[in-house]
Amino acid sequence: MTTAAVLRSEWIKIRSVRASWGSLLSVFAAALAVTLLAFPLIGQAEADNPDYDALFSAFYAMNFAQIAAISFGATAFSSEFAHGALRVSLAAVPRRGLFYAAKTAVIGLAALALGLVTSFATFLVGQLFMGDYAIGLGHPGAVSACIGGGIYLALMALLASGLTALLRSGVAVLSILIPFVLIVGFVIGDMSAGVAEFLPDRAGQIVLHSEHTGTLGPWTGLGVTALWAAASVLAGWWAVRRRDA
Amino acid sequence: MTSIEVTALTKEYGSTRAVDGLTFTVEPGKVTGFLGPNGAGKSTTMRLVLGLDRPTSGTATVGGRVYASLADPLREVGALLDAQNAHASRTGRNHLRALAVSNGLAPGRVDEVLEETGLTSAAGRRIKTYSLGMRQRLGIAAALLGDPPVIMLDEPSNGLDPEGIIWIRELLRRLAREGRTVLVSSHLMNETASFADHLVVLGRGRLLADTPMRAFLDAHRHDRVRVRSTEQSRLREALVKQGYAVAFDEDGKLTVEDAQAADIGALAAREGVPVLELVDEQTSLEQAYLALTAEDAEFAAQHTPSGAARS
Repeated sequence: MTTAAVLRSEWIKIRSVRASWGSLLSVFAAALAVTLLAFPLIGQAEADNPDYDALFSAFYAMNFAQIAAISFGATAFSSEFAHGALRVSLAAVPRRGLFYAAKTAVIGLAALALGLVTSFATFLVGQLFMGDYAIGLGHPGAVSACIGGGIYLALMALLASGLTALLRSGVAVLSILIPFVLIVGFVIGDMSAGVAEFLPDRAGQIVLHSEHTGTLGPWTGLGVTALWAAASVLAGWWAVRRRDA
Repeated sequence: MTSIEVTALTKEYGSTRAVDGLTFTVEPGKVTGFLGPNGAGKSTTMRLVLGLDRPTSGTATVGGRVYASLADPLREVGALLDAQNAHASRTGRNHLRALAVSNGLAPGRVDEVLEETGLTSAAGRRIKTYSLGMRQRLGIAAALLGDPPVIMLDEPSNGLDPEGIIWIRELLRRLAREGRTVLVSSHLMNETASFADHLVVLGRGRLLADTPMRAFLDAHRHDRVRVRSTEQSRLREALVKQGYAVAFDEDGKLTVEDAQAADIGALAAREGVPVLELVDEQTSLEQAYLALTAEDAEFAAQHTPSGAARS
């Protein structure tokens, strides 16, 4: 049994379940749709605000793309827990380390590829409607933000997939993570310093800003998000390795 | 050829012992029926063989090797545990493709097993549209995918229609003729009797019997003769006089316990009673199985006053 064969098999599994394949595509679709709705209507109006960050505003749609990325990570793994599919999967690939690593890698790589496309597309398409306020990839930090945004989406997908492996339920993970990114960030508001800065979504989105006032910089922020994702993936591995299927 | 070896296998879930010190070997070239009431530990044993559950103690191996150490396990062991174990949103073909690709099987195998199980026309449909019988066929297709020398099926005829049941019977016989090791669990006795050469019987996680089917039937044989004559009451009197236990069955025939047809025929001849029908009753697998499990229940009643005492 080769690693390449198991990776291909995991890719077929993601492609062949509508929920996981659809949520992967919706990372891109949601971001683009929101961008196309919001930017022609309110893009330039927002630009007059005194604390306007041209770069961060360009990634407004990432709020929606990250929900899709979380859904993708959760559904891509939870398909193993639906209908006892995991038993068939582990009977075919009984080396659980290989199985888990291949699945995690495919989820991460698929989310990264689509995340990067999404991130660049959102930025470039949004700016088409910004008229005089438009910035290009030459804007300071723009390319970093686009690349970082793609990495951020992949990390959020991995955070969700690891938790799903641990909790054995996509629904449970979605009902924890989605309110978490929607509400916690909102409640804490603009507090940029302190503990809030180290939350996975807050830390990872620093890379989308022009100015970094807190403890974390763009890449250290992504590093913090990566640690969250790694912890989640390891917790999932602990569960998959030791539990009866 | 490859056999399945189960040695001192024990599996506890909390305080329940699902499998209790089980030792048996499933040999190639025959169909082994795996019998026992629901909850006897048949499915658990199969999951332990596949390494899906971890044994509390003991080992289960295939051809002397632990399942997880097999390079391409689908080429060694084909298993159907539960026909529902497939993501319902996938098409039948994609379900099999993902399995085939992981074990490096030729892509053509997918179409071959679809054809063999009669699912070709349904292959592009999502599994959620399948009937239970079609899901069983898909599970069997997955088990055959790697053309493995060992096949393990848990209740494969669940939900199959009469044609499907005949099909699975012939499939199992053929797989055994080809020299494969075939283990098939069931709680349907007549069905098992129609395909099994050998029996492994479990009760409450323990091994009750591991024996060829013929020997099993002989061991639990209960001699009984059915006889019909033109003068039933005269024959009955004569039999009772000889010390036989005699009763009328629902068809009005006489049933004679612990008797051979040869003796009863001779007796009737001596008495001058014209016999219309005289037959040794065959022991069915069901009767033999019930006799065995009754013995086990009696043993359990004598040796463990309460169920809680075991745990």
